[in-house]
Amino acid sequence: MGATMAYSPLVRELFDGLPRSGELAPGTGQLVHGEAMALDRGAWVRLEARIDEGRIADCAFRAWGCPHTLAAAALVASQLPAQRVDAVPATDARSLAAELDAPPEKLGRLLVVEDALHALLERAHALQFP
Amino acid sequence: MESAPIYLDHAATTPLDPRVVDAMCDCLRDPALQGNPASTHAPGRMAAARVEIARAQVARLIGAPPESIVFTSGATESVSLAILGAARAAGTGLRHVVTSVIEHRCGIDACRQLEREGFKVSWLKPGADGRIDPELVAGAMRPDTALVSVMHANNETGVQNDIQQIGRLCRDRGVTFHVDAAQSAGKLPVDVGEIGVALLSYCAHKLGGPKGVGALYVQRRPRPALQPLQFGGGQEGGLRAGTLPTHQLVGFGVACELARTLLSRESPRIRTLRERLWAGLQPAAPVARNGAAEPSVPGILNVRFPGIEGESLLLALDGRLAVSSGSACSAASAEPSHVLRALGLSDLAAQASLRLSLGRQTTEGEIDRAARLLVDCVRRLRGALPAGAVERIA
Repeated sequence: MGATMAYSPLVRELFDGLPRSGELAPGTGQLVHGEAMALDRGAWVRLEARIDEGRIADCAFRAWGCPHTLAAAALVASQLPAQRVDAVPATDARSLAAELDAPPEKLGRLLVVEDALHALLERAHALQFP
Repeated sequence: MESAPIYLDHAATTPLDPRVVDAMCDCLRDPALQGNPASTHAPGRMAAARVEIARAQVARLIGAPPESIVFTSGATESVSLAILGAARAAGTGLRHVVTSVIEHRCGIDACRQLEREGFKVSWLKPGADGRIDPELVAGAMRPDTALVSVMHANNETGVQNDIQQIGRLCRDRGVTFHVDAAQSAGKLPVDVGEIGVALLSYCAHKLGGPKGVGALYVQRRPRPALQPLQFGGGQEGGLRAGTLPTHQLVGFGVACELARTLLSRESPRIRTLRERLWAGLQPAAPVARNGAAEPSVPGILNVRFPGIEGESLLLALDGRLAVSSGSACSAASAEPSHVLRALGLSDLAAQASLRLSLGRQTTEGEIDRAARLLVDCVRRLRGALPAGAVERIA
């Protein structure tokens, strides 16, 4: 019984600060969100972004899950601002796991983060190219 | 310098009492106590005499005569010896055991082993309050029942079973009754004569003594049949072979003596602190208590925070508060607690639970700081939750 798993410095930093958690403040542009939930896998992630002139102007997240899930959601939310909607670098569970130095058993949870990102980008694309 | 975390995991193990350390060190340093207690020469007899002092202290904690105490390596071994030893020795025709699904893993695994050996085991479920109804025990007993094994206080919820009533039922039917008292010995008054128990397991490290030493009380009259689990030099009446560790037993004895003399003072103090902690957690509402508040051992509070993921809460507390999560005893496993699941909690609710266990060293200041810390961490994690998560993960 206890927290025996090792966490990378980046996971600790993101988990401790939870940067960009919560709601986006009012501003110009249109809001879109992407959400994915797999309670049986232990993760639930909602990403929210403000799209302005084809760019992601701002991004925030809400999440339930283990420290790796929260850190991955915070990482994605931190990397999206200033990206063009049609040129967001590919991000998936494996790349998140590599960046966070997450153990293989966390891949299932990171897939939920990946799914939330895909859902967000699909909606952002639909907004730009209806 | 980083301050030490507040230790609220006394149900897992307790810090060594300094008086126990002193007694053990004195024993280890004393050249006169280095003989094998089983040897007949003078150094052996000196060590044996010291062991018998410890045996008397260990026995006194539970109101037992010294000759009824069998020393073991800990509660796991005591429970194994009691369950496996009593069932295997019961003889042909007695191939049934009654136990509960909320026993410590060692009791559950011993009963599973008996099932592999062809025994039938009745697994009793607790009520929502976490208690095993004695009527369920009565209903489960059969003419071929060899043994009833029920814990006194649950190691996760602290909830206390009515072992006196279960003891009466067993005595009336002539069935051997074993009690796992690892969490209650030294925390609650335990008197084997009053309970009417045939076998009772407890250990040193849950009450300020060293790890690696425990005891099994074996009633003298009538004496339950027991088959040993290990063989060798015939120590402990042939029930537990192996050289006795004099210094460990000295520590166990002093720990029992301290627990016995401090019980009437410490038990209400710790109970009051536990309720102070519970009150201090209310700003983190919703927060729920797992298992009934009473009757219980004084020092265990099991709580769940809907919407909170256990691993995240443990990491948020890491380095500041030492507690146990609602996952299984094995840290390698993220399996939800079998005890909390038996109480009807979902896997997610079990994983949103924490066991906070207080001890003799716990202070009011620590309790207040721990409550503030927990409230802060829960609020921070809830602040990042998707809408509806608190209701959904409860």
